[in-house]
Amino acid sequence: MKGIRADGTPIKVMAVDDSPISRKMIKKALEPVGFLIVGEAGNGKEAVERYPQFQPDIITMDVTMPVMDGLDAASIIKGINPQQKIIMLSAMGDDDIINQAKSRGINDVCCKPFKAEELLEKILKVLEN
Amino acid sequence: MATIHIVPFVRASVSIFRDMLDLEVRSGETEEEGDSFVSRGFTVIVGFTGGWKGRFFLDMGGETAMHIASSLTGESYSTFAEEEVLLSGAELGNIISGNAITDINNNNPGLNLRLTPPSVFAGEDLSMFNVRLSSCSVLLQTDAGLVKINVAVEEGNK
Repeated sequence: MKGIRADGTPIKVMAVDDSPISRKMIKKALEPVGFLIVGEAGNGKEAVERYPQFQPDIITMDVTMPVMDGLDAASIIKGINPQQKIIMLSAMGDDDIINQAKSRGINDVCCKPFKAEELLEKILKVLEN
Repeated sequence: MATIHIVPFVRASVSIFRDMLDLEVRSGETEEEGDSFVSRGFTVIVGFTGGWKGRFFLDMGGETAMHIASSLTGESYSTFAEEEVLLSGAELGNIISGNAITDINNNNPGLNLRLTPPSVFAGEDLSMFNVRLSSCSVLLQTDAGLVKINVAVEEGNK
């Protein structure tokens, strides 16, 4: 299964999105192929607070969220751990947002609506690099 | 309001209904909407601001809303007032309007439109009133029922 490493351990994912439906869709896309959703957050502030506890291999990060948006959360998390891999998952994907995402160190962008296969291939590609 | 403003929202809606929800869609003609319309029972509203101000309505019947929620979550629902049905409607409205706004922003550099959080209204005999803004509607016929898209836009900062 694509979400399981050669050593048999699952790839750990933290899902950050203010929509519980979106987080459910991420789980539905990734869990059947072996990924382990180790934690969730409903806004950027929660993501920053919970990040040390979950220690994910990769974070899926929505952009537009209350309290703290995904771009600010990504900057803070990258400040804690510059090696942390983050994929932006958002319905808003205009050039300005993509440029801001790149400048914050976000590794890749996946636009909503996403296909399960597209999301998992992007995750694997980011983790390879 | 120029009817051209609704085009990105129609395009996004058709694409998302087909690709994300696996529904065949037939799009009707654009119509100027009057001061109000009666909801089919389930209405999602998403606002946007920036270089333009406005809002997007996604209006449908309860059965259609439940069908959409089931497609997204894999669960079954007995009433459209269930929390996950409301949240699914909100997420659908967010994704459609996000895609439309992305399209508009990329074609209009500097416009920088951004979305407001969605709201969902669910109930019988709800009337939606347009205050200060004129709007346009397109009716989509989907395999899960009729869906009305309604958009109102005010260009420029007034």
